[in-house]
Amino acid sequence: MMEIFRNMWRKKFRSFLTIFGIAIGIFAFTVMGSMALRFNKMIQGGKRFITGQITLMPKGSTGYTGGAATLPLNTLNEIAKVDGVEAVSGIVELSLEEPDPDNPIGSGVSFGVPPTIEGTDFNTKYRNRNWEELAMKEGRMVGPGDADTNVTIGYTIALDKKLHAGDTMKIRGRDFTVVGVLDKTMTGPDTYVFMSINIARQMLIESVPFLKSLQEQATEAAKISDQALAKLPEETRKQLQQAKLFNPEDINSMAGISWKDGVDPDALSNTIKEKFKNEVMVLSPKMMGDTIDKASAIFNAVILGSALLALIVGGFSIVNTMLMSISERTKEIGVRKALGASPSSIARDFTVEAGVIGLIGGIIGIGFGLLMIVLLNRALAGKGAEIFIIDTTFLLSVIGFSFVLGVIAGVLPAWRAARLQVVQALREL
Amino acid sequence: MPKTIIRAENIHKTYHMSKTNEVHALQGINLEVMEGDFSAIIGPSGCGKSTLMQILGLLDRPDSGRLYINDVDTSTMKERQAVKFRANTIGFIFQGFNLLPALTALENVMLAGRYGGLNRVEKKKRARRLLEMMGLAERLHHTPNELSGGQQQRVAIARALINSPSLILADEPTGELDSETSLEIIELLKELNEKNNQTFVLVTHNLEVANSCKKIIHLKDGKNTSA
Repeated sequence: MMEIFRNMWRKKFRSFLTIFGIAIGIFAFTVMGSMALRFNKMIQGGKRFITGQITLMPKGSTGYTGGAATLPLNTLNEIAKVDGVEAVSGIVELSLEEPDPDNPIGSGVSFGVPPTIEGTDFNTKYRNRNWEELAMKEGRMVGPGDADTNVTIGYTIALDKKLHAGDTMKIRGRDFTVVGVLDKTMTGPDTYVFMSINIARQMLIESVPFLKSLQEQATEAAKISDQALAKLPEETRKQLQQAKLFNPEDINSMAGISWKDGVDPDALSNTIKEKFKNEVMVLSPKMMGDTIDKASAIFNAVILGSALLALIVGGFSIVNTMLMSISERTKEIGVRKALGASPSSIARDFTVEAGVIGLIGGIIGIGFGLLMIVLLNRALAGKGAEIFIIDTTFLLSVIGFSFVLGVIAGVLPAWRAARLQVVQALREL
Repeated sequence: MPKTIIRAENIHKTYHMSKTNEVHALQGINLEVMEGDFSAIIGPSGCGKSTLMQILGLLDRPDSGRLYINDVDTSTMKERQAVKFRANTIGFIFQGFNLLPALTALENVMLAGRYGGLNRVEKKKRARRLLEMMGLAERLHHTPNELSGGQQQRVAIARALINSPSLILADEPTGELDSETSLEIIELLKELNEKNNQTFVLVTHNLEVANSCKKIIHLKDGKNTSA
């Protein structure tokens, strides 16, 4: 073993360069991998949620971009009557902060789900099969009987705004009481504020001028009695009657459907899709699960692929170093063979040497990678936005991998060394 | 009746340098070396001394002919057997010492012990004892570049002896040493020969060295002229 280090020491600069090459690869691998772990955790959380229910999106919306499309109450009630549906519940989602007119796309790109208001119906029988209850860090989840001004906030929101159960929180100009803080989930709920759908709806209406004016018209129209209405000219009367029809409960960004026990959710999704294809978009659990898996697979492939690329380059630098080292040490190999070294013992020595180079590079790379991860996480922890997961199993396997990489890179040179003819090797130099 | 250590019969070796250029290095060598012999192979450059040495050491194989070492026919051995046989039966001393630069004197000697299949404790014990015998007790942990030429060759001798070989082959053992050191080394080898009855075959240019050997094998044009 000492021999390996002494051989490396004799060619300090070259060993340094080789190890440095590996270290960079492993560094990239560690950092990217820890980020991928974090991302996957988030994605898997989302998957768990979305496969626990059938999700309804308004026709004309595309996921996050949403827009003004909503799910009317009537449609939801009709869907609730479909055989196999246990309950349907509308959800109103909107961003926690009102968009800043001077900076419409936000202060910066954040990792993961942006802070979001989740307005849910406290009295619904709907439940998400995979996520019936979220673990609490403090207090409790808002639910039936709660005032509209009570909210439960996600872990990251609480950390970012330094809030605890019992505190008052201002959201879009209104005061709310925090009744609970969720435990860390590493996914969506961390940046959610759960509140009553009624108040979330109201805030949504206020933030969209079109909806706001509809509501104002409705309020105005409601002031006019039916008798007064009858006296108005035909055209005006019709307009006012329509304005009266505006019902805030028709405003739902999306809806969750829970199915009865024993019902196949994907078949149920299809039934609903067939019946209501002109009104809603139905996201079946299976379809969404597959879509999410595909997205995360691509993400993983990109991240790990780029890190692997760095590693392969590092691997080739080991191959190169070992080949050089072997051609410099040809005579040494000849001597060893003359002393009775078998080809396999020569091959083993050189392979182990390459493995050790890989291992040292790996340990250094992991060291720097961890340092960076810890520092970045610490810097971001204040906002609860850690973007890395430090996973011991992953780190250990990266170290193992660096050794294996070295060994693999060493195999070819070692094999060449083992095959050297003694007589020719001895004649070198 | 002393035992025969080497018996070579009609050994031929041709090197194919290129398609048209063949070098007939050995053209029918016959020789016999008995246990306890101290023989020198001498001859002009290019007479095949080194080739013969390599073939005697099983580093290379003859094209034809038979070579018995310790009454074992080595010409039919598989490479793996040859490796093992070499490690246990033959000790090498090279002209350029050929110590591994990254290893200390002790480790260099122990390395050969490892290939000879000695266990950890045993090879360390033997290596230490041999180096002490060579007068290098103070130099065990020095690397070759911290040793003089004579000291390096002593380490190489200790290395050749660690597996108690029945045959020690020395290719120009004094080639890179000054005449005084050369004599010392030859005396050392002779002493080993006399004390332990170990068999030595030397290749040398140095007539003085050759003349001090019990037996001289003259090589010329790939043939031995006298035995």
